[in-house]
Amino acid sequence: MNACRLAERFFARVEAGEVDEILGMMTPDATVSLVPLNRHGPMAADGASYLRELSRSFPDLVVRVRRLFVAGDNTAVAEITIDGTQAEAFLAVSNQEKHVDLDQAWMLKVTPDDRISAVIAYWDQNQLYRRLGVKRLDKVTITAR
Amino acid sequence: MTTGALRAGAGLASRENSAEAAVRAFFAAYRGHDVEGMVDLCTDNAGFRYVPFEVWGRQRVLYGEGKVRTVGQVIWTALIDAFPDLASAVISLRADGDGNVAAEVGIGGTQAKDFGTIACTGGRYQVPHLFLFQVTGDGLIDDIVAYWDNADWKKQLGCLEVD
Repeated sequence: MNACRLAERFFARVEAGEVDEILGMMTPDATVSLVPLNRHGPMAADGASYLRELSRSFPDLVVRVRRLFVAGDNTAVAEITIDGTQAEAFLAVSNQEKHVDLDQAWMLKVTPDDRISAVIAYWDQNQLYRRLGVKRLDKVTITAR
Repeated sequence: MTTGALRAGAGLASRENSAEAAVRAFFAAYRGHDVEGMVDLCTDNAGFRYVPFEVWGRQRVLYGEGKVRTVGQVIWTALIDAFPDLASAVISLRADGDGNVAAEVGIGGTQAKDFGTIACTGGRYQVPHLFLFQVTGDGLIDDIVAYWDNADWKKQLGCLEVD
């Protein structure tokens, strides 16, 4: 499988909330950097925890891959849009059943034997807060209706 | 491997290299605060999208989206004006054989003027960015997209309002 198809499968599993299956696509020591959350660590811990919370909080999550290319070092680079309606607290933000659409960019480093060894994700947390009704960055649990 | 395949491989590597070179030149101009130089590295009709750039007014939302020679040039000039010591450092660069380039770049500076909704308090910021470029076969940048976290940026500068 090439890195492009692997990345498409990765995002399909993010959409489906299949976190164990995602971990099965990783090398055992795969790392994750969720840049806006300042979370950098093992995919099996930090990455899985984030993806489980995302899936639980947005049960109707849709992940649309808008652009995908594979760089010379076999890193898949993707622009995606995540889309869903909040159903539970997410990243400490109370649930107001707000609809969210958020553009993100992800990089998946792929090994020669088709495993993902590192995941790096960028998005704007300010945009996410705005869509979830947060008014102040120092009080993300207090939201406006 | 056939000679044709070797040539095709060399072509891909060459496209990768020229695309990387264009992006490195772009950030060198950015480091030198040479906005004209940044623009000159782009095609006349190059696209521009700074994804987090949303200014929410009462009537409408303004997005950082359009063309390099209109929206991009204005934003870069305003940013350098507000952060006169603005610095950028390329952390990683990845390219494919079709002119796509991903660049992780650290950008930071000290605020000297208001910038959008961020009132000047003289604060300093440093924020990681991911830039995605499309570079033509002639080595000109034809599209720029960038992602970063505005919440991080604003918090570092003491602006705690989401909008």
